Amino acid sequence: MMRSLLTLIAALTLWGLPAMAQQGGPLRLEITEGVIEPMPVAVPDFVADTPAAQEFARNIARVIAADLTGTGLFREIPADAHISRITSFESPVQFADWRAINAQVMVTGAVNVDGAGRVVVRFRIYDVFAGQELGQGQQLVGQRDGWRRIAHKVADQVYARITGEGGYFDSRVVFVSESGPKNQRAKRLAIMDYDGANLQFLTDAASLVLAPRFSPTGDRVLYTSYETGFPRIYVLDVASVGRRALPTLEGTMAFAPRFAPDGRTVLYSLTQGGNTDLYSMDIGSGASTRLTTAPSIETAPSYSPDGRQIVFESDRSGTPQLYIMSASGGEARRISFGEGRYGTPVWSPRGDLVAFTKQSKGRFHIGVMRLDGSEERLLTASFLDEGPTWAPNGRVIMFTRETQGAQGEARLYSVDITGRNLRQVTTQGGASDPSWGPLQN
Amino acid sequence: MTVGAARGADGVNTGQIISGAGHLAVIGWALFGGAFRSDPPPFEVVEAMAISSEDYAAILAASSAPEAVANVNTPEPPAPGENAPALASGADSAPAQSQPAANAAPPPDPVPTPPEPVPAPAEVTDTAPEVAPPAEDVAALVPQVSPRPQPRPAPRVAPEPVAPSEPDVRVDDVARPEVAPDAGAVVEEAPQEATAPEEAATEIVTEAERPRDPAPTASPRPRARPAPRPAPAPEAAPTEAAPTETAARPETPQETQAPPATDRGAVSDALAAALGQGTPTPERPAGPPLTAGEKDALRVAVQRCWNVGSLSSEALATTVVVTVRMFETSKPDTSSIRMLSHSGGSAEAARQAYEAARRAIIRCGNDGFDLPPEKFGQWRDIEMTFNPERMRIK
Repeated sequence: MMRSLLTLIAALTLWGLPAMAQQGGPLRLEITEGVIEPMPVAVPDFVADTPAAQEFARNIARVIAADLTGTGLFREIPADAHISRITSFESPVQFADWRAINAQVMVTGAVNVDGAGRVVVRFRIYDVFAGQELGQGQQLVGQRDGWRRIAHKVADQVYARITGEGGYFDSRVVFVSESGPKNQRAKRLAIMDYDGANLQFLTDAASLVLAPRFSPTGDRVLYTSYETGFPRIYVLDVASVGRRALPTLEGTMAFAPRFAPDGRTVLYSLTQGGNTDLYSMDIGSGASTRLTTAPSIETAPSYSPDGRQIVFESDRSGTPQLYIMSASGGEARRISFGEGRYGTPVWSPRGDLVAFTKQSKGRFHIGVMRLDGSEERLLTASFLDEGPTWAPNGRVIMFTRETQGAQGEARLYSVDITGRNLRQVTTQGGASDPSWGPLQN
Repeated sequence: MTVGAARGADGVNTGQIISGAGHLAVIGWALFGGAFRSDPPPFEVVEAMAISSEDYAAILAASSAPEAVANVNTPEPPAPGENAPALASGADSAPAQSQPAANAAPPPDPVPTPPEPVPAPAEVTDTAPEVAPPAEDVAALVPQVSPRPQPRPAPRVAPEPVAPSEPDVRVDDVARPEVAPDAGAVVEEAPQEATAPEEAATEIVTEAERPRDPAPTASPRPRARPAPRPAPAPEAAPTEAAPTETAARPETPQETQAPPATDRGAVSDALAAALGQGTPTPERPAGPPLTAGEKDALRVAVQRCWNVGSLSSEALATTVVVTVRMFETSKPDTSSIRMLSHSGGSAEAARQAYEAARRAIIRCGNDGFDLPPEKFGQWRDIEMTFNPERMRIK
């Protein structure tokens, strides 16, 4: 009896001891709720090492700040709020002055123009409140007319260092530039920096062009042209603006092309005998392979990043829906089950999401969903939103938004995959059908 | 009428008379005896004195309140003169802020002079005691955490010690011859070390008047750093700070399996096992534990600065455990912030998550957290688990 009693006391003591011991450790808290707001960043003008570099120093800092703030993840602290001035790239940073204006991240740099006329940019990134430099300083060298690319690359480095994701600023977009009234609109292929700068036209307005698509390396563009009266696929070399038509059968219509990740194969839709199916073509040999044989319309194919699967649009169920199948064809599985019509699916560069256009209840949406159709999120809603394309880092989507009415015009917009930071992309005139290219080398 | 009925009629008459008389008596007592009358409300009794009409008129005449009101000089409104602002519709300038002439101002109302209060017999003097000038300010390098009650200054004393009073002298009854010192005698005295002469200070400098020594009087032994916390999730990648406690615990049951010799031994063995093989119990923090409200206040303060908006998707799926040592000023020691462990993401994602957590601690701790100073021992070392699960994109 005594033994049982002592054992019971010991058990009770053991039960209570861990709690007592825990009191002796550090105070433990779990933080589960934070805030989502742009991070304040200071980008003072870069230091000009030479008088010839003064304009570059100022402009490069402005482009970096514009890149960062354009993401919606950063908020630039205006220069007139700065307490300290960066007069020397090598001088230590007075962190207290930057903390006082609540700058959490700061980018400093210096610009020099060397004897060969090249622009040399050095920069550093600082965590102001920690009083530490993030990573190591870097140096970029480029031609004078390529100073914007240098600035974009600096911004990419800052973005990657802070967010942990790759940047997308040093990239280009090919799209259809539109001009003229709605019933007689002229369309040309054009290419520009992601922010609308450095616009170049790739074709003239003599014939209707549609749906340009960048190659994985960004050196070529596929597009559909009605030059012959029928839709036909062309491949255009961006550097030389030379083009050639891909082989096709007489009496058929080929459209909606897209490169495979290897850059050697093209997926496209071919209408023959009133039926539209998916085909793949080896660009080098011109040999085509039929991937679907359904009597329905299959179109708008897009490869997965690894090239093993295809997501496409089909009305085999009665309404346009999204399906995934093997890149070599075979049985497809449906992934969209929501109300409305789904189309123009594009696989994310990360491989985890599919962006699409959805029409429901008279409205158009740009949305994303998981590969199994789950977690569908509609990011936009308007009279007409369509044609999504992914940024190289898979964080931002660009698309076409067309306004209603006879004076309606198509413009390019971008939105974060969270649905935040909807912005219009600066273009000269109307623009549609964007295709976001990869990061440039 | 039947007989019975007649008897009944006779009987009724007698009974009715008795009954009626009884009821009348009760009703009469109820009406006039006060059964239905409530007690009158309490009232105060005021003594009144009858006075004559002449005396009443004299009292009324003595009252001068209406006359005082009538004699008040009401201020006259200032007459429109040169100083009045001109009403010009086109003028956009502000009118001159001229005031009426001083003679137009009404005389001040006569202020009744209050009767001078009869000075009460003062028990204390009105003159403030002289306060000794405070000692020279000395910059205190060490904040005084627990101010003790200041001792009162002791009264000043004479510059020289006062000779002790002589004892009471009483003449002895027996006369004794005076003892003369023996000139030839040699008095041997024990050798004595030279001592400083006893000196009397000119004043007593009390503890309250002595300037405080700025140097710390004690140097507390630094506490040991907290033992690294094991990774919260079993799938967590091994981190730099390997959990040591968990590694030692598997040995615990091995020794507890030894059969105890006695009941007392069983209890002591069980206690030893619970305490981890006799390892010393971690140092208990001083002060009472933080209340739930105090912990919540700290949590909310950190959350307010934990900005996850710029984190990547992978970093938003990464939980990091961060430790920080606090100063007594409730500000974080930024150099002590470390990531103990992480789970749910790659090392790169953990670095982004850790940097966001570090920024939150530093930013919102820049002005000091709202923590009770008397419980410093409880929040000197803090482990914060930043779990962004609820902040992910839904």
